[in-house]
Amino acid sequence: MRIGIVCPYSFDVPGGVQNHVMDLAEALIGLGHEVSVLAPADEDSPLPSYVVSAGRSVPLPYNGSVARIAFGPVSTARVRRWITRGDFDVLHVHEPLTLSISMLAVLSARGPVVATFHTAMTRSRVLSAAQGALQIVLERITARIAVSALARKVQVEHLDGGAVEIPNGVAVAKFAGMQPLPGWPGECGPGTGGTLGFLGRFTESRKGFPILRDAFVELAARRPGLRLLVAGPGDPDDLFDRFPPELRDRVTFLGLVPEADKARMLRSVHLYVAPNTGGESFGMILTEALAAGTTVVASDLDAFRRVLDNGRAGRLFRTGDAAALAQTLTELLDDPAARAELTACGDQVVANFDWPVVARRVLEVYAAAIEATDGRVIDQEWVGSD
Amino acid sequence: MPGMWWVVGATVVVGLVAAYLIWTAGRVERLQARAQLAARALDAHLLRRAAAAAVLAERRYGVELYAAARIALDAQPEEREAAENDLTRQLRAVELDPTDPDCEAVIAASRRLALARQVHTDLVRDARTARSRRLVRLFRMGRRHTWPRYFDIDDPTLTTPATDVTAR
Repeated sequence: MRIGIVCPYSFDVPGGVQNHVMDLAEALIGLGHEVSVLAPADEDSPLPSYVVSAGRSVPLPYNGSVARIAFGPVSTARVRRWITRGDFDVLHVHEPLTLSISMLAVLSARGPVVATFHTAMTRSRVLSAAQGALQIVLERITARIAVSALARKVQVEHLDGGAVEIPNGVAVAKFAGMQPLPGWPGECGPGTGGTLGFLGRFTESRKGFPILRDAFVELAARRPGLRLLVAGPGDPDDLFDRFPPELRDRVTFLGLVPEADKARMLRSVHLYVAPNTGGESFGMILTEALAAGTTVVASDLDAFRRVLDNGRAGRLFRTGDAAALAQTLTELLDDPAARAELTACGDQVVANFDWPVVARRVLEVYAAAIEATDGRVIDQEWVGSD
Repeated sequence: MPGMWWVVGATVVVGLVAAYLIWTAGRVERLQARAQLAARALDAHLLRRAAAAAVLAERRYGVELYAAARIALDAQPEEREAAENDLTRQLRAVELDPTDPDCEAVIAASRRLALARQVHTDLVRDARTARSRRLVRLFRMGRRHTWPRYFDIDDPTLTTPATDVTAR
Protein backbone atom coordinates (compact mmCIF):
# COMPACT_ATOMS: atom_id res chain seq x y z
CA MET A 1 0.00 0.00 0.00
CA ARG A 2 1.22 3.53 -0.69
CA ILE A 3 0.66 5.55 2.45
CA GLY A 4 1.09 9.30 2.93
CA ILE A 5 1.34 10.47 6.54
CA VAL A 6 1.13 14.13 7.55
CA CYS A 7 2.58 15.36 10.83
CA PRO A 8 1.60 18.94 11.77
CA TYR A 9 4.49 19.58 14.14
CA SER A 10 8.10 20.11 13.20
CA PHE A 11 10.59 17.28 13.52
CA ASP A 12 13.12 19.89 14.67
CA VAL A 13 11.70 19.65 18.17
CA PRO A 14 10.85 16.41 19.96
CA GLY A 15 7.25 15.70 20.88
CA GLY A 16 4.69 13.00 21.41
CA VAL A 17 2.96 13.35 18.03
CA GLN A 18 6.29 13.42 16.16
CA ASN A 19 7.47 10.26 17.92
CA HIS A 20 4.16 8.58 17.21
CA VAL A 21 4.38 9.43 13.50
CA MET A 22 7.98 8.23 13.19
CA ASP A 23 7.34 4.96 15.03
CA LEU A 24 4.19 4.31 13.01
CA ALA A 25 5.95 5.05 9.72
CA GLU A 26 8.82 2.71 10.61
CA ALA A 27 6.43 -0.06 11.68
CA LEU A 28 4.47 0.25 8.41
CA ILE A 29 7.67 0.19 6.38
CA GLY A 30 8.66 -2.89 8.38
CA LEU A 31 5.38 -4.52 7.32
CA GLY A 32 6.32 -3.94 3.68
CA HIS A 33 4.39 -0.77 2.81
CA GLU A 34 5.58 2.34 1.03
CA VAL A 35 5.42 5.31 3.36
CA SER A 36 6.10 9.01 2.87
CA VAL A 37 5.84 11.41 5.80
CA LEU A 38 5.26 15.12 5.24
CA ALA A 39 6.29 17.36 8.13
CA PRO A 40 7.56 20.88 8.65
CA ALA A 41 11.33 20.98 9.09
CA ASP A 42 14.17 23.37 8.47
CA GLU A 43 15.94 22.82 5.16
CA ASP A 44 19.24 21.75 6.66
CA SER A 45 17.97 19.57 9.51
CA PRO A 46 18.73 15.85 9.18
CA LEU A 47 15.59 13.81 8.50
CA PRO A 48 14.88 10.10 8.15
CA SER A 49 14.79 9.04 4.47
CA TYR A 50 11.00 8.65 4.42
CA VAL A 51 10.34 12.24 5.60
CA VAL A 52 9.64 15.08 3.14
CA SER A 53 10.02 18.63 4.44
CA ALA A 54 7.02 20.92 4.11
CA GLY A 55 9.18 23.94 4.72
CA ARG A 56 10.23 26.04 7.65
CA SER A 57 7.96 26.06 10.65
CA VAL A 58 6.97 28.98 12.83
CA PRO A 59 6.45 28.75 16.57
CA LEU A 60 2.83 29.25 17.52
CA PRO A 61 1.37 29.11 20.99
CA TYR A 62 -1.12 26.27 21.05
CA ASN A 63 -2.96 24.40 23.76
CA GLY A 64 -0.79 25.70 26.59
CA SER A 65 2.55 25.04 24.91
CA VAL A 66 4.41 26.21 21.83
CA ALA A 67 3.96 24.17 18.68
CA ARG A 68 6.12 24.61 15.61
CA ILE A 69 3.88 24.39 12.60
CA ALA A 70 3.74 25.47 8.96
CA PHE A 71 0.76 27.12 7.30
CA GLY A 72 0.25 29.46 4.40
CA PRO A 73 0.44 29.65 0.59
CA VAL A 74 3.94 28.18 0.30
CA SER A 75 3.01 25.26 2.53
CA THR A 76 -0.23 24.77 0.59
CA ALA A 77 1.69 24.47 -2.67
CA ARG A 78 4.12 21.98 -1.15
CA VAL A 79 1.33 19.90 0.35
CA ARG A 80 -0.49 19.76 -3.00
CA ARG A 81 2.66 18.80 -4.86
CA TRP A 82 3.49 16.08 -2.33
CA ILE A 83 -0.03 14.62 -2.60
CA THR A 84 0.05 14.65 -6.41
CA ARG A 85 3.50 13.10 -6.65
CA GLY A 86 2.83 10.57 -3.92
CA ASP A 87 -0.24 9.05 -5.59
CA PHE A 88 -1.20 7.54 -2.24
CA ASP A 89 -3.75 4.79 -1.65
CA VAL A 90 -4.57 6.43 1.65
CA LEU A 91 -3.67 9.70 3.34
CA HIS A 92 -3.19 9.59 7.12
CA VAL A 93 -3.23 12.99 8.83
CA HIS A 94 -2.52 13.69 12.47
CA GLU A 95 -4.34 16.37 14.45
CA PRO A 96 -6.26 17.71 11.42
CA LEU A 97 -8.06 20.39 13.44
CA THR A 98 -4.89 22.38 14.11
CA LEU A 99 -4.14 25.19 11.65
CA SER A 100 -1.33 23.26 10.01
CA ILE A 101 -0.28 21.24 6.98
CA SER A 102 -2.54 18.49 8.34
CA MET A 103 -5.57 20.66 7.72
CA LEU A 104 -4.21 21.75 4.34
CA ALA A 105 -3.68 18.12 3.37
CA VAL A 106 -7.26 17.19 4.34
CA LEU A 107 -8.62 20.04 2.27
CA SER A 108 -6.45 19.11 -0.73
CA ALA A 109 -7.11 15.37 -0.54
CA ARG A 110 -9.21 13.57 -3.11
CA GLY A 111 -9.04 9.96 -1.96
CA PRO A 112 -9.59 8.26 1.40
CA VAL A 113 -8.41 10.19 4.44
CA VAL A 114 -7.74 8.69 7.87
CA ALA A 115 -7.29 11.13 10.73
CA THR A 116 -5.75 10.49 14.14
CA PHE A 117 -6.72 12.67 17.09
CA HIS A 118 -4.13 12.79 19.86
CA THR A 119 -5.14 15.51 22.27
CA ALA A 120 -8.24 15.38 24.35
CA MET A 121 -9.30 18.97 23.75
CA THR A 122 -12.08 19.89 26.08
CA ARG A 123 -12.58 23.49 25.03
CA SER A 124 -16.04 22.69 23.82
CA ARG A 125 -17.12 26.30 23.40
CA VAL A 126 -14.39 27.02 20.87
CA LEU A 127 -15.23 23.83 19.06
CA SER A 128 -18.94 24.49 18.89
CA ALA A 129 -18.38 28.10 17.79
CA ALA A 130 -16.29 26.95 14.85
CA GLN A 131 -18.44 23.91 14.13
CA GLY A 132 -19.53 25.08 10.68
CA ALA A 133 -15.99 25.67 9.50
CA LEU A 134 -14.69 22.51 11.14
CA GLN A 135 -17.43 20.52 9.45
CA ILE A 136 -15.85 21.26 6.07
CA VAL A 137 -12.62 19.68 7.30
CA LEU A 138 -14.31 16.84 9.18
CA GLU A 139 -16.50 15.73 6.30
CA ARG A 140 -13.46 15.13 4.12
CA ILE A 141 -12.19 12.62 6.63
CA THR A 142 -13.24 9.05 5.94
CA ALA A 143 -12.22 7.30 9.15
CA ARG A 144 -11.14 8.65 12.50
CA ILE A 145 -8.75 7.18 15.06
CA ALA A 146 -8.47 8.35 18.65
CA VAL A 147 -5.40 7.36 20.66
CA SER A 148 -7.19 7.33 23.99
CA ALA A 149 -10.63 6.88 25.48
CA LEU A 150 -10.60 10.57 26.41
CA ALA A 151 -9.73 11.69 22.88
CA ARG A 152 -12.54 9.50 21.59
CA LYS A 153 -14.97 10.99 24.06
CA VAL A 154 -14.22 14.44 22.66
CA GLN A 155 -14.99 13.12 19.18
CA VAL A 156 -18.33 11.73 20.25
CA GLU A 157 -19.44 14.63 22.42
CA HIS A 158 -18.12 17.69 20.61
CA LEU A 159 -17.36 16.73 17.04
CA ASP A 160 -20.41 14.60 16.51
CA GLY A 161 -18.75 11.48 15.21
CA GLY A 162 -17.34 8.19 16.30
CA ALA A 163 -13.73 7.15 16.22
CA VAL A 164 -11.87 3.89 16.45
CA GLU A 165 -9.74 3.76 19.55
CA ILE A 166 -6.23 2.54 18.80
CA PRO A 167 -3.72 3.20 21.56
CA ASN A 168 -0.28 4.68 21.16
CA GLY A 169 2.24 2.01 20.34
CA VAL A 170 5.52 1.45 22.07
CA ALA A 171 8.62 0.17 20.32
CA VAL A 172 9.09 -2.80 22.64
CA ALA A 173 12.31 -3.87 20.93
CA LYS A 174 13.90 -0.47 21.69
CA PHE A 175 13.08 -0.75 25.39
CA ALA A 176 13.64 -4.42 26.12
CA GLY A 177 17.02 -5.74 27.12
CA MET A 178 18.64 -2.36 27.84
CA GLN A 179 21.43 -2.13 30.41
CA PRO A 180 20.71 -0.07 33.54
CA LEU A 181 22.87 2.97 34.25
CA PRO A 182 26.13 1.99 36.01
CA GLY A 183 25.61 1.49 39.74
CA TRP A 184 21.83 1.23 39.49
CA PRO A 185 19.37 0.01 40.69
CA GLY A 186 21.47 -1.29 43.60
CA GLU A 187 20.48 -3.41 46.57
CA CYS A 188 16.91 -4.13 47.56
CA GLY A 189 16.33 -6.41 50.53
CA PRO A 190 13.51 -6.74 53.03
CA GLY A 191 13.35 -3.51 55.03
CA THR A 192 16.32 -1.90 53.31
CA GLY A 193 17.44 -0.42 49.99
CA GLY A 194 15.41 -0.14 46.81
CA THR A 195 15.19 2.49 44.10
CA LEU A 196 12.13 4.44 43.02
CA GLY A 197 11.88 6.23 39.68
CA PHE A 198 9.97 9.21 38.35
CA LEU A 199 10.12 10.69 34.88
CA GLY A 200 8.43 13.92 33.84
CA ARG A 201 7.82 17.49 34.91
CA PHE A 202 8.06 17.42 38.70
CA THR A 203 6.80 21.02 38.82
CA GLU A 204 3.51 20.26 37.12
CA SER A 205 0.87 19.50 39.73
CA ARG A 206 -1.11 16.98 37.68
CA LYS A 207 1.99 14.80 37.38
CA GLY A 208 1.59 14.29 41.14
CA PHE A 209 5.25 14.54 42.14
CA PRO A 210 4.41 15.93 45.63
CA ILE A 211 2.57 12.69 46.40
CA LEU A 212 5.64 10.64 45.55
CA ARG A 213 7.79 13.07 47.53
CA ASP A 214 5.62 12.69 50.66
CA ALA A 215 5.65 8.91 50.35
CA PHE A 216 9.43 8.91 49.81
CA VAL A 217 10.10 11.18 52.79
CA GLU A 218 7.93 9.02 55.03
CA LEU A 219 9.46 5.78 53.77
CA ALA A 220 13.11 6.91 53.67
CA ALA A 221 12.99 7.70 57.40
CA ARG A 222 12.45 4.04 58.26
CA ARG A 223 14.07 2.36 55.28
CA PRO A 224 17.83 2.86 55.02
CA GLY A 225 19.29 2.89 51.54
CA LEU A 226 16.06 3.83 49.76
CA ARG A 227 16.88 6.00 46.75
CA LEU A 228 14.92 8.11 44.29
CA LEU A 229 15.90 8.64 40.66
CA VAL A 230 14.24 11.60 38.94
CA ALA A 231 14.46 12.54 35.27
CA GLY A 232 12.73 15.33 33.40
CA PRO A 233 12.96 19.01 32.58
CA GLY A 234 13.38 21.42 35.48
CA ASP A 235 15.81 23.19 37.75
CA PRO A 236 17.81 20.90 40.14
CA ASP A 237 17.63 23.42 43.01
CA ASP A 238 13.88 23.55 42.64
CA LEU A 239 13.80 19.75 43.01
CA PHE A 240 16.20 19.41 45.95
CA ASP A 241 14.52 22.25 47.87
CA ARG A 242 11.48 20.02 48.10
CA PHE A 243 13.33 17.47 50.27
CA PRO A 244 14.60 17.75 53.85
CA PRO A 245 18.41 18.33 53.83
CA GLU A 246 19.27 14.92 55.35
CA LEU A 247 17.53 13.10 52.47
CA ARG A 248 18.97 15.11 49.58
CA ASP A 249 21.91 12.77 48.99
CA ARG A 250 19.46 9.93 48.43
CA VAL A 251 17.80 11.74 45.53
CA THR A 252 19.49 11.70 42.13
CA PHE A 253 18.44 14.08 39.37
CA LEU A 254 19.31 13.24 35.78
CA GLY A 255 17.76 16.30 34.15
CA LEU A 256 16.15 15.90 30.77
CA VAL A 257 17.18 12.51 29.37
CA PRO A 258 17.28 11.98 25.60
CA GLU A 259 14.76 9.52 24.16
CA ALA A 260 17.46 6.89 23.71
CA ASP A 261 18.42 6.95 27.41
CA LYS A 262 14.86 6.73 28.66
CA ALA A 263 14.88 2.93 28.52
CA ARG A 264 18.11 2.78 30.52
CA MET A 265 16.69 5.14 33.13
CA LEU A 266 13.56 2.97 33.43
CA ARG A 267 15.74 -0.15 33.83
CA SER A 268 17.68 1.53 36.62
CA VAL A 269 14.87 1.46 39.18
CA HIS A 270 13.08 -1.27 41.12
CA LEU A 271 9.73 0.52 40.98
CA TYR A 272 8.58 3.11 38.49
CA VAL A 273 6.02 5.40 40.12
CA ALA A 274 3.32 7.31 38.21
CA PRO A 275 1.53 9.37 40.88
CA ASN A 276 -0.46 11.47 38.38
CA THR A 277 -3.58 13.13 39.70
CA GLY A 278 -5.44 13.50 36.40
CA GLY A 279 -5.34 14.88 32.90
CA GLU A 280 -3.35 11.95 31.58
CA SER A 281 -5.17 10.83 28.49
CA PHE A 282 -3.26 7.65 27.82
CA GLY A 283 -0.23 6.96 29.99
CA MET A 284 2.49 6.42 27.40
CA ILE A 285 5.16 6.30 30.09
CA LEU A 286 3.51 3.27 31.67
CA THR A 287 3.73 1.21 28.50
CA GLU A 288 7.35 2.29 28.14
CA ALA A 289 8.15 1.22 31.70
CA LEU A 290 6.39 -2.11 31.08
CA ALA A 291 8.35 -2.57 27.85
CA ALA A 292 11.58 -1.93 29.76
CA GLY A 293 10.56 -4.72 32.14
CA THR A 294 10.19 -2.44 35.16
CA THR A 295 7.57 -2.91 37.87
CA VAL A 296 5.03 -0.10 37.80
CA VAL A 297 3.10 1.55 40.63
CA ALA A 298 0.46 4.01 39.42
CA SER A 299 -2.48 6.00 40.69
CA ASP A 300 -5.79 4.39 39.84
CA LEU A 301 -6.86 6.82 37.11
CA ASP A 302 -9.11 5.30 34.45
CA ALA A 303 -6.44 5.54 31.75
CA PHE A 304 -3.81 3.86 33.94
CA ARG A 305 -6.24 1.19 35.08
CA ARG A 306 -6.84 0.28 31.45
CA VAL A 307 -3.20 0.18 30.47
CA LEU A 308 -2.30 -1.89 33.53
CA ASP A 309 -5.16 -4.32 32.88
CA ASN A 310 -6.91 -3.42 36.11
CA GLY A 311 -3.84 -3.84 38.31
CA ARG A 312 -2.69 -7.17 36.90
CA ALA A 313 0.34 -5.69 35.13
CA GLY A 314 1.19 -3.02 37.71
CA ARG A 315 0.06 -2.09 41.21
CA LEU A 316 -2.55 0.69 41.55
CA PHE A 317 -3.01 2.97 44.56
CA ARG A 318 -5.71 5.49 45.42
CA THR A 319 -5.07 8.67 43.42
CA GLY A 320 -3.55 11.44 45.53
CA ASP A 321 -3.07 9.29 48.64
CA ALA A 322 0.61 9.43 49.73
CA ALA A 323 0.07 7.04 52.66
CA ALA A 324 -1.46 4.42 50.39
CA LEU A 325 1.44 4.87 47.98
CA ALA A 326 4.01 4.42 50.78
CA GLN A 327 2.19 1.26 51.90
CA THR A 328 2.18 -0.16 48.34
CA LEU A 329 5.85 0.70 47.83
CA THR A 330 6.88 -1.05 51.06
CA GLU A 331 4.96 -4.18 50.11
CA LEU A 332 6.51 -4.41 46.67
CA LEU A 333 10.07 -3.50 47.70
CA ASP A 334 9.97 -6.32 50.28
CA ASP A 335 8.53 -8.86 47.86
CA PRO A 336 10.64 -9.66 44.79
CA ALA A 337 8.27 -12.50 43.85
CA ALA A 338 5.32 -10.09 43.58
CA ARG A 339 7.44 -7.75 41.45
CA ALA A 340 8.42 -10.60 39.15
CA GLU A 341 4.78 -11.64 38.80
CA LEU A 342 3.75 -8.09 37.84
CA THR A 343 6.51 -7.72 35.26
CA ALA A 344 5.64 -11.10 33.75
CA CYS A 345 2.05 -9.90 33.29
CA GLY A 346 3.43 -6.59 32.07
CA ASP A 347 5.26 -8.38 29.25
CA GLN A 348 2.00 -9.92 28.05
CA VAL A 349 0.09 -6.63 28.29
CA VAL A 350 2.74 -4.59 26.52
CA ALA A 351 2.78 -7.04 23.61
CA ASN A 352 -0.62 -5.57 22.66
CA PHE A 353 0.98 -2.12 22.44
CA ASP A 354 3.97 -3.19 20.37
CA TRP A 355 4.18 -1.04 17.23
CA PRO A 356 3.88 -3.84 14.64
CA VAL A 357 0.66 -5.01 16.39
CA VAL A 358 -0.71 -1.47 16.59
CA ALA A 359 0.31 -0.77 12.97
CA ARG A 360 -1.71 -3.80 11.79
CA ARG A 361 -4.78 -2.35 13.47
CA VAL A 362 -4.11 1.00 11.78
CA LEU A 363 -3.83 -0.85 8.45
CA GLU A 364 -7.30 -2.29 8.99
CA VAL A 365 -8.63 1.23 9.43
CA TYR A 366 -6.86 2.22 6.18
CA ALA A 367 -8.60 -0.69 4.49
CA ALA A 368 -11.98 0.41 5.88
CA ALA A 369 -11.38 3.95 4.60
CA ILE A 370 -10.35 2.77 1.14
CA GLU A 371 -13.33 0.43 0.96
CA ALA A 372 -15.73 3.18 1.98
CA THR A 373 -14.30 5.38 -0.78
CA ASP A 374 -14.52 2.99 -3.71
CA GLY A 375 -16.90 0.31 -2.44
CA ARG A 376 -14.61 -2.66 -3.09
CA VAL A 377 -13.38 -4.90 -0.30
CA ILE A 378 -9.74 -5.61 0.44
CA ASP A 379 -8.54 -9.11 1.35
CA GLN A 380 -7.63 -9.83 4.93
CA GLU A 381 -4.31 -11.37 3.87
CA TRP A 382 -3.40 -8.17 2.14
CA VAL A 383 -4.26 -5.99 5.13
CA GLY A 384 -2.33 -8.17 7.53
CA SER A 385 0.50 -8.92 5.13
CA ASP A 386 4.02 -9.01 6.52
CA MET B 1 -22.77 56.79 -13.48
CA PRO B 2 -24.01 55.36 -10.18
CA GLY B 3 -26.45 53.09 -12.03
CA MET B 4 -23.66 51.08 -13.52
CA TRP B 5 -22.12 50.35 -10.10
CA TRP B 6 -25.44 48.93 -9.03
CA VAL B 7 -25.33 46.58 -11.99
CA VAL B 8 -21.73 45.59 -11.30
CA GLY B 9 -22.50 45.08 -7.59
CA ALA B 10 -25.59 43.01 -8.30
CA THR B 11 -23.69 40.87 -10.83
CA VAL B 12 -20.93 40.19 -8.29
CA VAL B 13 -23.47 39.26 -5.59
CA VAL B 14 -25.37 36.98 -7.96
CA GLY B 15 -22.07 35.41 -9.06
CA LEU B 16 -21.01 34.76 -5.47
CA VAL B 17 -24.38 33.28 -4.55
CA ALA B 18 -24.29 31.05 -7.63
CA ALA B 19 -20.74 29.91 -6.83
CA TYR B 20 -21.78 29.09 -3.27
CA LEU B 21 -24.81 27.15 -4.49
CA ILE B 22 -22.75 25.16 -6.98
CA TRP B 23 -20.15 24.43 -4.34
CA THR B 24 -22.84 23.32 -1.88
CA ALA B 25 -24.51 21.11 -4.47
CA GLY B 26 -21.16 19.47 -5.21
CA ARG B 27 -20.56 18.96 -1.53
CA VAL B 28 -23.95 17.31 -1.02
CA GLU B 29 -23.39 15.12 -4.08
CA ARG B 30 -19.97 14.04 -2.83
CA LEU B 31 -21.15 13.20 0.68
CA GLN B 32 -24.13 11.35 -0.73
CA ALA B 33 -21.99 9.26 -3.07
CA ARG B 34 -19.56 8.47 -0.28
CA ALA B 35 -22.33 7.26 2.05
CA GLN B 36 -23.55 4.94 -0.72
CA LEU B 37 -20.09 3.48 -1.33
CA ALA B 38 -19.64 2.98 2.41
CA ALA B 39 -22.97 1.13 2.46
CA ARG B 40 -21.69 -1.16 -0.29
CA ALA B 41 -18.51 -1.89 1.66
CA LEU B 42 -20.57 -2.54 4.80
CA ASP B 43 -22.81 -4.92 2.87
CA ALA B 44 -19.76 -6.83 1.60
CA HIS B 45 -18.36 -7.14 5.12
CA LEU B 46 -21.69 -8.40 6.46
CA LEU B 47 -21.73 -11.10 3.79
CA ARG B 48 -18.14 -12.03 4.54
CA ARG B 49 -18.78 -12.42 8.23
CA ALA B 50 -21.90 -14.51 7.66
CA ALA B 51 -20.05 -16.70 5.16
CA ALA B 52 -17.11 -17.19 7.54
CA ALA B 53 -19.55 -18.05 10.34
CA ALA B 54 -21.34 -20.58 8.11
CA VAL B 55 -18.05 -22.29 7.27
CA LEU B 56 -17.16 -22.48 10.94
CA ALA B 57 -20.64 -23.74 11.91
CA GLU B 58 -20.47 -26.58 9.38
CA ARG B 59 -17.24 -27.78 10.87
CA ARG B 60 -17.63 -27.23 14.57
CA TYR B 61 -20.62 -25.64 16.18
CA GLY B 62 -23.64 -27.07 14.47
CA VAL B 63 -27.15 -26.11 13.61
CA GLU B 64 -27.93 -22.99 15.61
CA LEU B 65 -24.94 -20.99 14.44
CA TYR B 66 -25.37 -22.30 10.91
CA ALA B 67 -29.04 -21.27 10.89
CA ALA B 68 -28.20 -17.79 12.19
CA ALA B 69 -25.55 -17.39 9.49
CA ARG B 70 -27.96 -18.58 6.76
CA ILE B 71 -30.72 -16.26 7.96
CA ALA B 72 -28.27 -13.32 7.97
CA LEU B 73 -27.15 -14.18 4.42
CA ASP B 74 -30.71 -14.46 3.09
CA ALA B 75 -32.35 -11.66 5.11
CA GLN B 76 -34.56 -9.11 3.39
CA PRO B 77 -33.41 -5.50 3.91
CA GLU B 78 -36.05 -4.79 6.56
CA GLU B 79 -35.11 -7.88 8.62
CA ARG B 80 -31.41 -7.64 8.14
CA GLU B 81 -30.44 -5.62 11.22
CA ALA B 82 -32.20 -8.09 13.53
CA ALA B 83 -30.68 -11.07 11.70
CA GLU B 84 -27.16 -9.64 11.96
CA ASN B 85 -27.61 -8.92 15.67
CA ASP B 86 -28.80 -12.48 16.14
CA LEU B 87 -25.67 -13.77 14.40
CA THR B 88 -23.50 -11.60 16.67
CA ARG B 89 -25.25 -13.11 19.71
CA GLN B 90 -24.75 -16.64 18.41
CA LEU B 91 -21.07 -15.98 17.77
CA ARG B 92 -20.63 -14.56 21.24
CA ALA B 93 -22.26 -17.63 22.76
CA VAL B 94 -19.69 -20.05 21.35
CA GLU B 95 -16.14 -20.39 22.57
CA LEU B 96 -13.87 -19.23 19.76
CA ASP B 97 -10.31 -20.42 19.69
CA PRO B 98 -8.09 -17.75 18.06
CA THR B 99 -5.47 -20.34 17.05
CA ASP B 100 -7.95 -22.18 14.80
CA PRO B 101 -7.87 -20.64 11.30
CA ASP B 102 -11.66 -20.85 10.82
CA CYS B 103 -12.28 -19.14 14.16
CA GLU B 104 -9.63 -16.56 13.40
CA ALA B 105 -11.35 -15.86 10.08
CA VAL B 106 -14.63 -15.12 11.91
CA ILE B 107 -12.87 -12.95 14.50
CA ALA B 108 -11.04 -10.98 11.78
CA ALA B 109 -14.22 -10.63 9.70
CA SER B 110 -16.06 -9.30 12.78
CA ARG B 111 -13.29 -6.86 13.55
CA ARG B 112 -13.34 -5.48 10.03
CA LEU B 113 -17.12 -5.40 10.03
CA ALA B 114 -16.94 -3.25 13.17
CA LEU B 115 -14.68 -0.81 11.34
CA ALA B 116 -16.92 -0.74 8.27
CA ARG B 117 -19.93 -0.11 10.50
CA GLN B 118 -18.16 2.75 12.28
CA VAL B 119 -17.09 4.38 9.02
CA HIS B 120 -20.54 3.90 7.48
CA THR B 121 -22.28 5.46 10.48
CA ASP B 122 -19.98 8.51 10.35
CA LEU B 123 -20.38 9.00 6.61
CA VAL B 124 -24.16 8.59 6.75
CA ARG B 125 -24.26 11.15 9.53
CA ASP B 126 -22.22 13.60 7.42
CA ALA B 127 -24.50 13.07 4.42
CA ARG B 128 -27.67 13.49 6.49
CA THR B 129 -26.32 16.65 8.12
CA ALA B 130 -25.54 18.11 4.71
CA ARG B 131 -28.92 17.18 3.29
CA SER B 132 -30.92 18.51 6.19
CA ARG B 133 -29.51 22.03 5.84
CA ARG B 134 -32.19 24.54 4.96
CA LEU B 135 -30.53 25.80 1.79
CA VAL B 136 -30.05 22.25 0.54
CA ARG B 137 -33.68 21.36 1.18
CA LEU B 138 -34.88 24.61 -0.38
CA PHE B 139 -33.11 23.88 -3.65
CA ARG B 140 -33.82 20.15 -3.32
CA MET B 141 -30.18 19.27 -3.84
CA GLY B 142 -29.39 15.57 -3.80
CA ARG B 143 -33.01 14.66 -4.56
CA ARG B 144 -31.83 12.06 -7.07
CA HIS B 145 -30.61 9.96 -4.17
CA THR B 146 -32.62 8.27 -1.46
CA TRP B 147 -32.24 9.68 2.03
CA PRO B 148 -29.12 8.01 3.53
CA ARG B 149 -30.10 5.42 6.11
CA TYR B 150 -28.19 4.25 9.19
CA PHE B 151 -27.56 0.54 9.57
CA ASP B 152 -28.28 0.10 13.24
CA ILE B 153 -26.62 -3.03 14.64
CA ASP B 154 -24.79 -3.82 17.87
CA ASP B 155 -21.03 -3.63 17.91
CA PRO B 156 -20.00 -6.94 16.26
CA THR B 157 -16.50 -7.04 17.78
CA LEU B 158 -15.92 -10.45 19.32
CA THR B 159 -12.79 -10.44 21.46
CA THR B 160 -12.34 -7.34 23.58
CA PRO B 161 -9.19 -7.42 25.68
CA ALA B 162 -8.41 -4.31 27.68
CA THR B 163 -6.58 -2.69 24.80
CA ASP B 164 -9.11 -3.51 22.15
CA VAL B 165 -12.07 -1.27 22.88
CA THR B 166 -13.81 -0.56 19.64
CA ALA B 167 -16.12 2.37 19.24
CA ARG B 168 -19.71 2.15 20.36
